[in-house]
Amino acid sequence: MNPYVLATLLFSLGLGTTLTFASSHWLLAWMGLEINTLAIIPLMAQHNHPRAIEATTKYFLTQATAAAMLLFASLTNAWLTGQWDIQLMSHPLPTTLASLALALKIGLAPLHTWLPEVLQGLDLPTGLILSTWQKLAPLTLLLQLQPMNSSLLIILGLTSTLIGGWGGLNQTQLRKILAYSSTAHLGWMVLVLQFAPSLTFLTLIIYLTMTFSTFLTFNLNNSTTINTLATSWAKAPVISSLAPLMLLSLGGLPPLTGFMPKWLILQELTKQDLAPAATLAALSALLSLYFYLRLSYAMALTMSPNNLTGTLPWRLLPSQHSLPLAISMTASLSLLPLTPALTALFTL
Amino acid sequence: MTPPHFAFSATFILALTGLVFTRTHLLSALLCLEGMMSLFVALSLWALQLDITSFLASPLLLLAFSACEASTGLALLAATARTHGSDRLQSLNLLQC
Repeated sequence: MNPYVLATLLFSLGLGTTLTFASSHWLLAWMGLEINTLAIIPLMAQHNHPRAIEATTKYFLTQATAAAMLLFASLTNAWLTGQWDIQLMSHPLPTTLASLALALKIGLAPLHTWLPEVLQGLDLPTGLILSTWQKLAPLTLLLQLQPMNSSLLIILGLTSTLIGGWGGLNQTQLRKILAYSSTAHLGWMVLVLQFAPSLTFLTLIIYLTMTFSTFLTFNLNNSTTINTLATSWAKAPVISSLAPLMLLSLGGLPPLTGFMPKWLILQELTKQDLAPAATLAALSALLSLYFYLRLSYAMALTMSPNNLTGTLPWRLLPSQHSLPLAISMTASLSLLPLTPALTALFTL
Repeated sequence: MTPPHFAFSATFILALTGLVFTRTHLLSALLCLEGMMSLFVALSLWALQLDITSFLASPLLLLAFSACEASTGLALLAATARTHGSDRLQSLNLLQC
């Protein structure tokens, strides 16, 4: 892509999210979300092949619907209460409608069905932007909504963790697996939203780090299916030895970083007398863990049966900058001992 | 619920239902998306009803963004017609599991 066009689109992406971060008026927040949607559409459609255009069309339709629903919710609130402040939404109907609209925006179950197909049609760097940057603005708005109906968010969270786990079990395409993983992690974030918003923020940051390193690893190996992932041990051996640990960190195993948000969330849910919900969420994490384990199995624990030319691809000098991958991989593997510091750092 | 409130809520919900239950053509989905921008009328009525002059320009902002969104939708419709041959939603099945 033309570098000036790319720079303009990335700048607009940053502008949209920053606009939503900085707004206390619903109209400005809606405009930031619209700028985000409009800016990422050319990025998604840049390769112009049928799968990319189909993914872009589906993304556009869902995001436009969600943005319109959000505007309707805020207009209803304006008619009922006479003001447009995000944090002063006190009527239950607009709050519920806005929560559902934001759930459609980020891909929470049961409004998640667009996410696997859209992510499947994109190349890995654009999928990375979709999975990480595009979740920031709607989650900011969700964090600011006063919860009127406490069971809605819990139901959304539990459904997302369960569907994120079960949906990813039958997939061989890595991008669809990452989409279901995104749904599951967002479910965990939304579970504690009304009890401890700082835990949501912490989970979001850790999820961003882990997803960033996952996408960059898959991009380095240029693999989009489990089969191509299985030959990555010959291309980049060091990455292939660390990547299983990173996948298990996504699954939430101690002593890796991914355990930290799950542990803190389960503790908070138990303190709020929601022990059955905590048990269900913990059990649903096992489902996701199974497919992460399958990925690490294919990557490092076995050598898939292959012919000789398939097992020894050319090992060329890496042409990509690997510093971001190095930093995020280290962060996603070894930050568990810093739990008190991170809990104090990411407080709202 | 005042009559104007009911009117624009009903318009929006009808357009949303039309968008959600689109069965054959992508173009009808885009038309219903435009129908949802009846929120423009709602915003103008709100500012007039409550006599808040500082918000009288906000329908223009809504209209500007809605126009951008509509043109993006049309560009995607043209791209879909170019890559998939038509805008029928049944042909958008390349990304299934």
